[in-house]
Order: sequence, then structure tokens, then C-alpha cells
Amino acid sequence: MPSWSELEQFLVSGLALGGVYALSGVGLVVLYRATGVLYLAFGAVGALGAFLAYQMIQASAPGWAAWIVCILFGGVVTLIYGTIFGPALAGRDPLVRAVATLGLTLILFGAMELLWPPTSGATRSISLPTDNGGFTVAGLQVTWTQVIALGAGVVLTIGTGAFLRYTKLGTAMRAMANDREITATLGVPVRRVEAAAWFGCGVLAGFAGLLLADLVQLEPATLTFLVISSLAAALIGQLRSITVTFIAAIVIGVVHDLLTPFTALTNYRDMTPFVLAAIALLWVSRHRQIMTRSREEG
Amino acid sequence: MLLATLAALSLGVLAACSSSSSSSSSSSPSASSSSSASASSSSSATTTSTSACGTKPGVAATGTPIPLGGIVTDQTGTSFADIANMAGAYFACVNANGGINGHPIKYYIQKEQTNPSQIASLASQLVQTDHVVGIIGNTSIIECSVDHSYWEKQGFSIIDSGIAPECYSTSNSAAVNMGPRYSSDGAVQYALTQHPSKIIFDQANVPGTSYIAAGPNAIAAAAHVPITDYAETPPVSDANSVAIKLVDAAGKDGAVVLNFTPPDALSILLAAQKLNIEGNVKLWACSTPCNTDFLAKQLGSKWNNKIFVNAELTPPDQTNTPTMNLYKAILTQYGSAVTGGIGSFSQMGFTEAELMVKALESVQGDYTVASVNAAIKALKDVNTGMLCQQWTYGSYSSHLPNNMDYTTTANNGQMTLAPSGGGCTLISANDPQVAAYRAQAGTAPLDPTST
Amino acid sequence: MTVTKSDSAAAAAAAGRRPLLRRPDKPVQASVIVILLLFVLFVLPSLMSGYYTGYMTLAAIYSVVCLGLGLLVGRVGLYSLGQGAVVQIGAWTGARLLYGTGQPFAVVVIEAGLVTMLIGMAIGLPALRLRGLYLALITLMFAGAITVVLATVNFPNGGGGFTGYNGGSLHIPPIRRPSIAGTESAYFRYAVVVAIIMFVLVYAHLRTRPGRAWAAIRQSEPAALAAGINTWFYKLWAWALASFITGVAGAVLAAEYQHLYSINFATQDSIILLAVVLMGGVYTLWGAVIAALLMQLLPGWLQSLGVSYAWLDILFGIGVLQVLTTAPTGIADQFPKDMKRLGRFLWRQVHRPSARGAPGTSGPPGAPAAGSPGGGAP
Repeated sequence: MPSWSELEQFLVSGLALGGVYALSGVGLVVLYRATGVLYLAFGAVGALGAFLAYQMIQASAPGWAAWIVCILFGGVVTLIYGTIFGPALAGRDPLVRAVATLGLTLILFGAMELLWPPTSGATRSISLPTDNGGFTVAGLQVTWTQVIALGAGVVLTIGTGAFLRYTKLGTAMRAMANDREITATLGVPVRRVEAAAWFGCGVLAGFAGLLLADLVQLEPATLTFLVISSLAAALIGQLRSITVTFIAAIVIGVVHDLLTPFTALTNYRDMTPFVLAAIALLWVSRHRQIMTRSREEG
Repeated sequence: MLLATLAALSLGVLAACSSSSSSSSSSSPSASSSSSASASSSSSATTTSTSACGTKPGVAATGTPIPLGGIVTDQTGTSFADIANMAGAYFACVNANGGINGHPIKYYIQKEQTNPSQIASLASQLVQTDHVVGIIGNTSIIECSVDHSYWEKQGFSIIDSGIAPECYSTSNSAAVNMGPRYSSDGAVQYALTQHPSKIIFDQANVPGTSYIAAGPNAIAAAAHVPITDYAETPPVSDANSVAIKLVDAAGKDGAVVLNFTPPDALSILLAAQKLNIEGNVKLWACSTPCNTDFLAKQLGSKWNNKIFVNAELTPPDQTNTPTMNLYKAILTQYGSAVTGGIGSFSQMGFTEAELMVKALESVQGDYTVASVNAAIKALKDVNTGMLCQQWTYGSYSSHLPNNMDYTTTANNGQMTLAPSGGGCTLISANDPQVAAYRAQAGTAPLDPTST
Repeated sequence: MTVTKSDSAAAAAAAGRRPLLRRPDKPVQASVIVILLLFVLFVLPSLMSGYYTGYMTLAAIYSVVCLGLGLLVGRVGLYSLGQGAVVQIGAWTGARLLYGTGQPFAVVVIEAGLVTMLIGMAIGLPALRLRGLYLALITLMFAGAITVVLATVNFPNGGGGFTGYNGGSLHIPPIRRPSIAGTESAYFRYAVVVAIIMFVLVYAHLRTRPGRAWAAIRQSEPAALAAGINTWFYKLWAWALASFITGVAGAVLAAEYQHLYSINFATQDSIILLAVVLMGGVYTLWGAVIAALLMQLLPGWLQSLGVSYAWLDILFGIGVLQVLTTAPTGIADQFPKDMKRLGRFLWRQVHRPSARGAPGTSGPPGAPAAGSPGGGAP
């Protein structure tokens, strides 16, 4: 049985990992509530933005310019996707719209494999200035980057919840995700609201991608499919509650790392997000059917 | 006028660099290729011109081509294409300087994505369609396992960079490197010279982990030092928890030995550094994949003389022999496809090509599968200029021709020879496989250019 | 007086049931299929080089996997994002049995299918309470979990114990193949025969009660419920059938690879499976064949041309978007329609009366009238 001081360290690193999952998980739920689309390309968009930033830094561009490009790229690609495929698939089942974003994921993933083919030996990486420096907890150094990731998750949770509920634009977004046609008849500028939702969420994906590329690894497959673990947190929140998603992400990260010192379980700890999500979903559905309706309440 | 001045200046700078003993010549290919062409060729003229690779300098080979083949893994996250590409660069050089008795070499490089069906298909493609007479440059996570019976049936004695157990334990494959098991042996051996209280050995959970760990376990047991084995499923996405686990397990007098591909090894080491726990163990050691200047640069000076890496091949930065300079010159002139630049991968490709050319040059008469592979098997005590020992193929049931290593350490952004005990050291015969090989083949003499 | 076939058919129809074996509705199409199969079994192996034989065997194996997924998606409306993991289970079981027992190959394949079916049902029992997007996502979660387990436990490689994995092996023995199919070409034929059997199995389901129930469920689940169909039972049946045939395919795959590694099965495989199945078409059996050729043969062909495999991901991504937005029935359905349209267009070009009345360019007299056959504008 590992000692408390050991477990303490894994608790700290688990919180950092949870911050990573929370950022993408909350982003996914926010997108879903704003546009009605489960944006599975979240990871791929962020990853491609991070690679663009990497390329710019290699070409001796200033760091801040590269980060802005990464974040804007996320916004622009998502906006383009939303403008073309949002209306085209508007009346369809959320499942179909989510599978369509898988198409975008494959396109972006293929582009990354093509433009940044695997290199022998020279690993690509992004480092942010916030990597140097931080504070010490339980004998471990926590970098500012990890704090930003966790903090961004908190801000996002509180901020977008409030935004969607209390602002006019947010309410319009929720109405549109519920029923696009009726919202249009109410005089809401549907196209513009939709564009704002897509762009905003794309910017979020770009920002998350930059942080994840720094915290995890700048590698196409790893970053693109990290979204599946974040999806687990979103599923525990039933794609509705941002707060539950955030808490679930933290719990997943902490449980994952706390399992590390237990020899029998350590190699299975990567299952944590999937097992927790499956249990949560099945528990919630034990008495009633769960389905997504085309008209989803906000 | 301006160009000439630039050329003269760069020539002067390069001359100054190459004369110092711990040369700081850049390891990245972009630096060497961005200097003007005239400067690089004139500087290599003062050391070696690439024409030394062939028998007739400057004469392009025009006879019937000799077809050779190679299969390398090249997929997202893992690519060994540099090895085959460097071998191809060497062959291109030979073709431009007389070929093999006037015959150019035609080298077919096949890339695979660890799909066994695809690998078998590519092997039959090379033999049935491309009619290759020799196989060289294979570097793959699983190719040796999948194809070794096929190569034996077809009569090919392949020269490769081994990873899977069958690259070392079968009769028809001989590697220029040591592979994960023996390289980990070397890393553990060096760690033991620093008298740690225990050893923590961690590797990627690819097939064959027990095979790989058996070597280090045997060596540690013979030294009566406790050793614990771990494995992580690649790719390592949560390096923080791995780093914490290893440091906690090793304790302040323990040694952590890693066996991972460069990206995963780097992320674990960087995680330890960012968490500020890398100093909490006695030392870190790593198998060959860590032996790149790139890794040293990413790690920074905190790791000077803290991380020790097993180097299967002679460190290029500190060696000024004709062969090493030829390697660098060929890399510059013909190696545009080699993305990693100077480093173990391209060195392996160079060495394999060197050996293949030597075998081909000894063939009398037609170049057929039988004649070429008989010549390969006959290679004995070859001075490659890249290894500690002379290299032998021979007719043995298993092959481990490279079983003597260097140890390097991080030194301000470069990998240099470890100050004490970093020179050529035999891999311990406490590893039963090593003992079995030496029982058949004996211990090869040293390569005169080794340190 | 002899009872003719049509009499018995009429009698059965009158009784409200259509016999399974009857004269095919489309005899031309049926004979084309038979001829094609004969060609593939007897002529193709000798035409293919060693290089393509491997890829075509994979195509045959994955046509069964695509069939399973197409069945779930197209016939019942269940999107599974985890079929890649189901293949892994079948491959693991097949490999373990082939290494560990001396049972005949066909028996092992069926056993692997049954084990996979049981595991699939164990997952389906709780999971099928979910619908739509949630069901798809929970299959993704299960697939992720299974992949982690198999990567940790590793695939069998001739060792002992339950997992059959010997990490210290110096020589990994290859997974054995059936004694009648020792060569690559022979194993290709074996894989095709297995695929044919699986297709016939699914076809039989489609033509009988389960098929009609599934059609009703896909049309409208509440209506099916109202009609007295036990929707949950039939969904589970579809799930079990898909798992069985995918498990069988997995076992045949294990013997094709002969060495199994968890790195062979990537996360994105399940997503690419869904992509090609959508592109091939989920409503016809041909769609499964097209999907398998896209997924397995195309990479081999591109590699021989020196084109990077990354282009395939881009192609499949575009394909998914195209199918979902414009051509929901996929290539298998769209291709004949497009061909018909092309045929009509060409016919009109050939038979259009020429402006200068040049002889011989028009078709039969009265060409203007015949100049617009088919009538429909593209």
C-alpha cells in the first residue's frame, strides 16, 4: 500500500491531468449546447493549429504570433465547417451531425500526417514560456502552464454557463440548438449567431490544442484522439451539465494517476475514462431510455 | 564577391570548429546544408571528399543495376526511414563513383505501417517483382518476426538494424546495432558502475518486454543489485505519473533505466524535469534511442552528467576519422531524405551500406541471390569505422556482431562520451544470450578507429 | 399431377410466409453475382501477384466486418464506433485457440465467433438501453477500454496460461492456417469462402422475420413497438449477429497476419470502418464489399504508386461528409444510379439529331422522339 506522501504526489499530478481533460471536455459540452453538434474534431483542430504554431516557431516567428495563429486557425476552420455543414445537416439527428464531424477529423488528421510526417529521432515539441516557473506542492513543481489549463477549465465552466444563460447571444444560441427554424421565425439573426457559436468554439479548440501540445505531446494521433478521453467526461455530464463535466474530468484525471502506484492496476489505468463513462451512462439509464432528441433542451 | 567572402568566412569558421577536440559541429542537417555549397564541399575536401566511397572517383556507373531491397517502419509516431534513406545515400555515392565494378546499385525501399500482412506482401514484392539479390537496411518493429522464415527459405542473409528478438536469434539476420535488449544491458551495466542501491527498469509495452528485460535482470542479479521492471503502453500520454512512479520507486540512491523510443523517452525525462524531481535519484540511464544531440538540447544543462546513454555506435561529434568524415560528407551531399541528420539512425544506415558494398565488391562473376548472400555471410572482422569492434556475419544460429558499446552523457546540449568508463565496453556475458553468441563466435577484435 | 414450384410458392405466400429458397426475384443480378464469385475464387488468385494477394485477403476479411457494421447502421440504425475492438476480440480468441488447441481451423473460427458474440451481447444488454448518439458514444467507450486491456495483456504468441502471451519468446511461432490452405493464394480462397458463408448467413436473416423486424424498427421504432415487435430483442439479435460475424472475421484475420500485435489495431480503425461503410453504402450487401476494398485494397494500390497513406484519411473524411450531406445511400446505391444517368446522357448524345443532318450520326428514324429516353434530367 503506497504511503500518503506518494499518493499526495499522484493527487497533484492527477489534478493537472484532470485540467487537461476538463478543457476539452467542457469545450465539447459548450459546443454541443450552443450548436447542437458534438464536435468530435475538437482535438484534431487544436492539434493542427498547434502544428502550425510549431512550424511558425521553427521559421523563427515570435512565439505570441504563433499562438495567435493557432487559436485563430481553430476558429476559422471551425467557422468554415459550421457555415458549410451546419445548415446542410441542421435537421438531422445529433448522431449524424456528430459522425459528420468525424469526417472533418479524418481530413485534418490526414493533413497532419501528410504535412508533418514522422521524423526519426528529432521529436517535435512546443514549449510555452509558462513552462518555466510555478510553485511547489508535495515536493513537485507545478508549472504555470498546468495552472492555466486547470484555471481555463474553471473559467470556462463558470463563464460559459453564465454566458449561455444570461446573455442575449447565449440565449439565442441555446434556442438555435433547440430548434433552428422556430428561432429564425422569432427574428434571431440565425446565421450570425451560428457563426459566432462556431467561431467561438473553434477558438476554444485552438487554445486547448496549444496547451495540450505543450502538456502532452505534439504528435498527430495522440492529440487528435485525446478527445475520446475528454468525451468520457462530457458523457458523464450527459452532454448537458458543464459543471458535472468539469468535475468528472477532474475525477477521471485524479483516479487515473492515483492508480499508478498500485502494481496490479497500473497498466490498466488508461481505461479510467472509458470505464467511468460507461458506468455513469449505464447507471443513469437504468430505469429509462436515454436518447438525444432533435430538439434538445438547453 | 560577396559570395566569395561568405565562403571564405564560413570556411574559416568551419576550420576553427573542426580543429578543437570536443568539436561543436552542429548536428542538425539544416545548418550544414544551409551553408553555401562551395563552402561545404571545400571544407570536406580538406577532410574527405565523398568520392572515397567508391572505387573509381567521379566515374558514374552505367552497367546493369544490382537490385537491393529494404523494409522499414514508417508510420505516425514511429519512423525508421532515415536508416534506409542513409543507406540509399551511400549507394548513390557509390553509383557516382564507379559503382560495383561499374554496376550501379538500385535500392528499393519499402515502407510499412506495422501491418503483418503488408510486411509479408512487401517481402514477396521485393523478391518476386523487383528481383532483389540482397536485403539491407531493414528496421522494423515486427518485420524480423514476420519475415524471417521467408528470408531463410529464399536464401537471403539480411543486414539490418534489429528490434524484434528474431533479428538476433535467427541464422539469417545480423544487425549493426544491439537492439533494445542488449542496449538496455549496456545502460544497466553503466548504471551499476555508479553503485546504485537498486535499479528501476522501465520500457515501452511492445511485444517482447520479458525478452528485453531478461538481459538487464540477469546482469543486475549477477551484481546482486535488486531490479524492478515496469512497462508503459505507448504512446505515453501521461508522462507525469510515470516520472513520479519511477522516481519514487528508485529513491535517492537508485538508478532509473529507460528503454523507449525518442518521443516517449523525452516526454518522461522532460516531465521529471518540469516536476523538478529529476535530481531525486542517483542517476538516469537510457538505451540507444536517447543518444541524440536533439534530446540533449531539449533537456538542457540540468542533466549534464546525470543521464547516461548507451551508444551502440561511435559518437560522431568527437570523432575525426576518415570514415566518420566520409559519413558526414555523404550525409550532406546525398542525404537530403535523411530528416534526423547526424545521429545513430543515419550512422546505422551508413554502416549497413558500407558492409553491403564490401560484400558486393568481393563477388566474382554474376550478382545473384546465391553469390551475393554467400559474400555477405563471408564478411569477417570488417573495420566499419563506426563500431567498437570489427563486424562479422558468419554462419551462426544467432547473431550479435555488435556487442561492445560506448556510453555518452548529456553535456550542454550535446551527447559526449561519459567522462569515466564511457569508452568501449563489452556487454556483460551475464546475459545468457550474449554468452551463447560468444560461445559460437568468440569476441571480435577492436576496430582500430574506436576509442 | 405434379406440384410445381410456383404452386408451392403460391401456397406458401398464401399462408403468409415466403419460403427462403425460391427463384430469385432478379435472376440476372443473381447470375452476375455467381459468375463474379466464381471468377474471384478460381481465376483471380492466379492473376494476382504475391503483393496483392495479401491485400485482397484482407479485403475479403474486412468485407465481413463491414457487413456487420452495415447491418447495424443500415438495417437497424445502430451506429457502432467500436467494431475495431470487436475484431480484436475475435482475433485474440482465434489466436489463443489456434495456438493452444489442435482443433480444426473451421471449428476454431466458429468458436471465436461465438465467444465474440457472447461478449458482444454482454455489452449490448446494458448498452442497448441507450439510443442514437449516446449508444454510439458508449460503444466508443467500450472499444477504448477493450483496446487498453488487449494492449496491456498482449495478443497470444504461443505462450501458456490464459493469455497465451510469452513476453520472453525468442522465436514467435506463426499462427497456424488450415491444412488445406497453406499457400497465400489458397488462404485467400479460404477467406473468400468464409466471407461468402457469412454473407449468406446475413442474407438469410434479412429475408426472414428478423429482417422484417429490423426494417420496421429502422422505419419507426415506436410504430414497430405498437405493431407488437419486441424491438429490444431484435436489436440485441442484430447486435449478436454482427458480433458473431465480426468475431469470425477476426479469427480469419489472426491466421492471415500470423503474428498479432496490439499496434496493428489503432484507435482510428473503428472510425475509418464507419467512414468506409458509409461511403460504400449501408443499405446493400454490395456496400460492404466496396467498403472493404476502399479500406484494404486502396492502401496497397496507393503504396505501389508511392502515394502516402495519409491521403486515404483525407479521402475517407471527405467521403463521410459527402455521404452524410448529399448521398446518404452511399456508393453502392449511387454508383448504379450514376452509371444509369451516364448511360442516358451518352445515349442522348449518340442519338441526338445532328444540326446539319449529317448521315449516319442519328439513330433510328424518328430519332427526335427517341432522343430523350428515360426522360429524367440529371
